[in-house]
Amino acid sequence: CSKRRSSGRIHANIAAGAVVCVESEIRGDVTIGPRTVVHPKARIIAEAGPIIIGEGNLIEEQALIINSYPENIMPDTEGVEPKTMTIGINNVFEVGCVSQALKIGDNNVIESKADLGKNVILTSGCIVGACCQVNTCEVIPENTVIYGSNCMRRVQTERPQPQTLQLDFLMKILPNYHHMKKTVKGTSTPVRN
Amino acid sequence: MASLLQPDRVLYLVHGEKKIRSSLSTLYFCRYCSELRSLECVSHEVDSHYCPSCLENMPSAEAKLKKNRCANCFDCPCCMHTLSTRATNIPAPLPDDPSKTAMKKAYYLACGFCRWTSRDVGMADKSVASGGWQEPDNPHTQRINKLIEYYQQLAQREKLERDRKKLARRRPYMPLAFSQHTIHVVEKYGLGTRLQRQRPGAPITSLAGLSLKEGEDQKEINIEPAQALDEVEPLPEDYYTRPINLPEVTSLRQRLLQPDFQPAGASQLHPKHKHLLIKRSLRCRKCEHNLMLYYFSVRIMSIPNLRFQKECQVLLTLTNPVESITHVTLVGCEEGDPEDINSTAKVMVPTKELVLAGKDAAADYDELAEPQDFQDDPDVVAFRKSNKIGFFIKVVPQREEDGDVTVSFKIRHDFRNLAAPIRPSEEDDAPTEAIWLTHHVELSLGPLVA
Repeated sequence: CSKRRSSGRIHANIAAGAVVCVESEIRGDVTIGPRTVVHPKARIIAEAGPIIIGEGNLIEEQALIINSYPENIMPDTEGVEPKTMTIGINNVFEVGCVSQALKIGDNNVIESKADLGKNVILTSGCIVGACCQVNTCEVIPENTVIYGSNCMRRVQTERPQPQTLQLDFLMKILPNYHHMKKTVKGTSTPVRN
Repeated sequence: MASLLQPDRVLYLVHGEKKIRSSLSTLYFCRYCSELRSLECVSHEVDSHYCPSCLENMPSAEAKLKKNRCANCFDCPCCMHTLSTRATNIPAPLPDDPSKTAMKKAYYLACGFCRWTSRDVGMADKSVASGGWQEPDNPHTQRINKLIEYYQQLAQREKLERDRKKLARRRPYMPLAFSQHTIHVVEKYGLGTRLQRQRPGAPITSLAGLSLKEGEDQKEINIEPAQALDEVEPLPEDYYTRPINLPEVTSLRQRLLQPDFQPAGASQLHPKHKHLLIKRSLRCRKCEHNLMLYYFSVRIMSIPNLRFQKECQVLLTLTNPVESITHVTLVGCEEGDPEDINSTAKVMVPTKELVLAGKDAAADYDELAEPQDFQDDPDVVAFRKSNKIGFFIKVVPQREEDGDVTVSFKIRHDFRNLAAPIRPSEEDDAPTEAIWLTHHVELSLGPLVA
């Protein structure tokens, strides 16, 4: 990765080895680590501060990762410090999920149409089930599974496996069908017809 | 036809013991009585047992033996979802050469919904994909079985006693009819075989073969009475001070689904075999025949804004499911109609008879077919598409209230009963006679606008 400049940068900082489709929308100061796959129509929006995404993450279609302003603060207010959103390694953001959590650890799975609020902090190995809305103000302990319409919780004994097979497959196939965004070192992946 | 998201907008009235109004997707039709029936005017029977996940049909005797559980499928003890078998590769030493390791497949059960796995409760991975999983044994099974045998014997003895008394009073040529009370005693301890279906009011038919023969020796079963203990195991000392590990505590539902063990800790929740479901057969109570689904339907197509006391047009569609031409007449409800209790608007239905073409399965593929010429009145008929027709009705909402505007009318159509038995008759009757059916329909059109 190149050196990070101060916030307010327009171009995303995509490490070599990451596969980011051109149809995805990346706004603001976003850093994406190597071996991360961002599907088309995914949206990563850094409004109120930078977003740093680690390596080996899988961000599927229509997923929305947004670092937004808190509700009672207008974008023009002076003196508001930009908060960085950090996302660890080997996370999976499934189709249609919305994540505003400022700190996400490793090996988490956020299933389809799940909704994470601003004040949640995910540690490692957590699974947020499909359509579950988690907008409490807490740190979710490790290896927690949140499932069901009432957001029941339980603890599982093993963390979810990293999706290495899926990532390798996608990194080979996606460039065949989509244009890729330019990475920092070297040019973009050549498009094969 | 009722749609998935709005099932209750078009309601049909059913003339049963109770007047029920419900949407067509929940109603049935008796071909022999030519009437609509709802779930409340039919009698249910158990047709067969099947497993909801592997769809395996099981005869009733086998189901009873297996306690109505499927042999192959399991339920997650945590969220009651169906468990699926997953495989992993684990290195295992070869039997011939312990120093080399080969990849062997190991199977474990996992739930896709709550991510519970069989490894969570300590169940070892099995080497076969199915059939390797056993439910843990209930430690009290033996005692329970013995008690059941003893009580079954007791029930038989009581039953014989009662019948001997009854027989002594009855005249000798009367059949061995069992009294109501005897049946009760038999059913009490689960002895009886499946009784014939009892019609309300009719005398109960005899149960042959249920009683032991008079001369047969009955095996004497003795049970020990339950022992009452004076001393109970004391609670552990830190029972009140130990902090609760909440993920480990089972919920009431999880506990009661396993009545044998009722585990208090989540690490003792073992999966249970999946419960079987019943396929019912429905019979019309009047004529005892099986029923079919009714399919002639009115559907609301589009509704403009409904304003109080202003006339507006509503577009309805009618679909004809049979292959012959059907004639439909709509009649508005008269004043003082006893069935018309819910309507809040006046409706003007088209007075002419509507003709619907038959359903032609090949119409989509036959491009050279001539379009049928029906000479539709453009004020009444909006469009016509193979066996569908769209027509207008005029609605004037009468009451200015918060609820939905409801409109009711009667629909009269001809119906050819293709499945009725052909009655041998002397005259030359047409093979399929059309009978005219009338239904009372209520439409719920939505709230008023301003």
